[in-house]
Amino acid sequence: MEMKDQKQEFDSSQHSLRRLRRDKRAVAGLTVILLFIVIPLIGPPIYQHIGGPYRSNISGTIIGPEVYHNPFHQELDRPDEFISGQYWLGTDAIGRDLLARLMQGMLISLTVAILVEVVDIGMGILVGVLAGYYGGWINQVLARFTDIMFAFPGLLFAILLTGIFGTWADTTLSSVPVIGPNGNARLLLVSLALAFTAWPLMARYVRGQTLQLKEHQFVEAARTCGTSDARIILRHIVPNLFSIVVVASTLNIAGTITGEAGLSLLNLGVQPPGSSIGLMISDASSSIQTHPWEILLPSIVLTLIVLAFSFLGDGLRDAFDPHSKD
Amino acid sequence: MVQFLVKRLIGLVFVLICVTFITFIMGYFAPGDPIHTLLGQHFTTRTYLALKHAYGLDLPWYQQYFNFITRLLRGDFGLSIIQQNRSVWDILATGVPVSTELAFWALTLNIVIGIPLGIISALKANTWIDTLTMGVMLFLYAAPAFVLAVLFQVAIVWLDQNTGLGWPVANWGNPWQYTWSDLQFKIGPILVYAALGMAYMARLARTTMLEVLRQDYVRTARAKGLREHIVIYRHALRNAMIPLVTVLGLSIGLLVTGAFFIEQIFNIPGIALTTLTSITTRDYPVIQATGILLAVAVVVGNLLSDILYTVVDPRIKVQ
Repeated sequence: MEMKDQKQEFDSSQHSLRRLRRDKRAVAGLTVILLFIVIPLIGPPIYQHIGGPYRSNISGTIIGPEVYHNPFHQELDRPDEFISGQYWLGTDAIGRDLLARLMQGMLISLTVAILVEVVDIGMGILVGVLAGYYGGWINQVLARFTDIMFAFPGLLFAILLTGIFGTWADTTLSSVPVIGPNGNARLLLVSLALAFTAWPLMARYVRGQTLQLKEHQFVEAARTCGTSDARIILRHIVPNLFSIVVVASTLNIAGTITGEAGLSLLNLGVQPPGSSIGLMISDASSSIQTHPWEILLPSIVLTLIVLAFSFLGDGLRDAFDPHSKD
Repeated sequence: MVQFLVKRLIGLVFVLICVTFITFIMGYFAPGDPIHTLLGQHFTTRTYLALKHAYGLDLPWYQQYFNFITRLLRGDFGLSIIQQNRSVWDILATGVPVSTELAFWALTLNIVIGIPLGIISALKANTWIDTLTMGVMLFLYAAPAFVLAVLFQVAIVWLDQNTGLGWPVANWGNPWQYTWSDLQFKIGPILVYAALGMAYMARLARTTMLEVLRQDYVRTARAKGLREHIVIYRHALRNAMIPLVTVLGLSIGLLVTGAFFIEQIFNIPGIALTTLTSITTRDYPVIQATGILLAVAVVVGNLLSDILYTVVDPRIKVQ
């Protein structure tokens, strides 16, 4: 019987995939997202091997592409350049390569998105399932907590948190490997703040779905067979949460990436010399009159990424639950 | 109805206590010692302890929280650490009119432009008007507010350089005054600020209107030969407004977070910008006060929309 159940589940997810593939906007979104994941991961090492040696007027030495295509390297006598063979997307006001900085910024967005989604999905499923399955005090606490979180806009919380603890994070967290150095120390704080405000919504969705699933016959059947609660939750309820979790987290990623970029734009996130899409916008805002390209580039890339996640999220929702469409 | 309101009010008080607690705890654990900063080079252990006692900072945290709350209830947000003889309220007071002005116009545009656009799209569903409006609204809704602000600024710069338009790219005129030069400052930021809520309202208005137009009572109204505009205005539109009213209160949350970006990018001296400058100078009491002020605005907005909901939809009262 379990075999048949699984087959049915498989069939329905194949149907959903087929529906998704027919949705042009969702497919376009998915393509952009794949690029957004691949480019910052394999782009920098490739880019740092392309280009001939260059005689730097600043240091007076000959440097290769691994130096001048580094996101943190400055060539002070080559500021505000437009697209060229040496600098594929030009340079910023202090002669740093814009493409290299953009890829580093995308890597930051990707890192924050993953960190936040891990917490969001983990906490959301844990609390949501427990609240939905057992009800009682967990349910009460969740309800009150979501009330507060809806009253306190997530970004405001993040702004206050990073505003008050930002300088502390700069000194304390910069020793954390991988995300610590290069002015990225506050990212942990930013991610924490964004995740903390995101998970109650996920938990609420999961709770609603769990309440429905609990009434289904297969759960009743499992219970009659003497299956333990833990097993029912892990084997029968959690797998069925897949679609709702995927849709909710895809839509949430759009907000998370905007949030990180926004905090960095307000100078509360990634600190110089680090790079983030938001910081690039903020850096370029002083040269908006003379070199609008520098501010347009990160803005357009960010919009593309965010639109891609929204389109994919909407597409996934329509694919998994065709009735939700008007 | 009364029972419902009392329940909501109790919930509101609970939320407010939590919000003040969160902001208090943040200030309590904030790095750096405010008294130390205040004394600077005049530091001696004696004056340090005396001042700490005078500010009540030597008390245990729960007593400090209690004092914090009682001061708040009297409308006293305490003293600024950086600008020593000014109260926090004094610092925020200059920004409040500017921020409320921005929010007022943004909300007005949401209602006056957003809802009609959605309704028109619903009435012309699946024509080019609908596709175009909803395409634009989708972009405005999904694109980050600060990107819209940047795009707008780039457009103004381009127009200034190529047509001699001569509009300012940033800054704000006199609050609540509308001479032509004030308008040049204000039109752009307000439009950008309103865009997100406008798109949200338009999308929601379209969905609810389509929903209502499919109802049986609309078909009945048409079947008994009523003129189309009566069907639309009297039967459909009124019912479509119900969900929109509740969203108005919720959109204050959007406005609060949006204010930080709009005021920063356009250099508008509202409370969000004051908060951001206080963050760089580490003036914690000011940050705390804005946190509470903005959270209260959101909570009250939620409550207002709940009340409006019962007014607009009589079915709620019966339950």
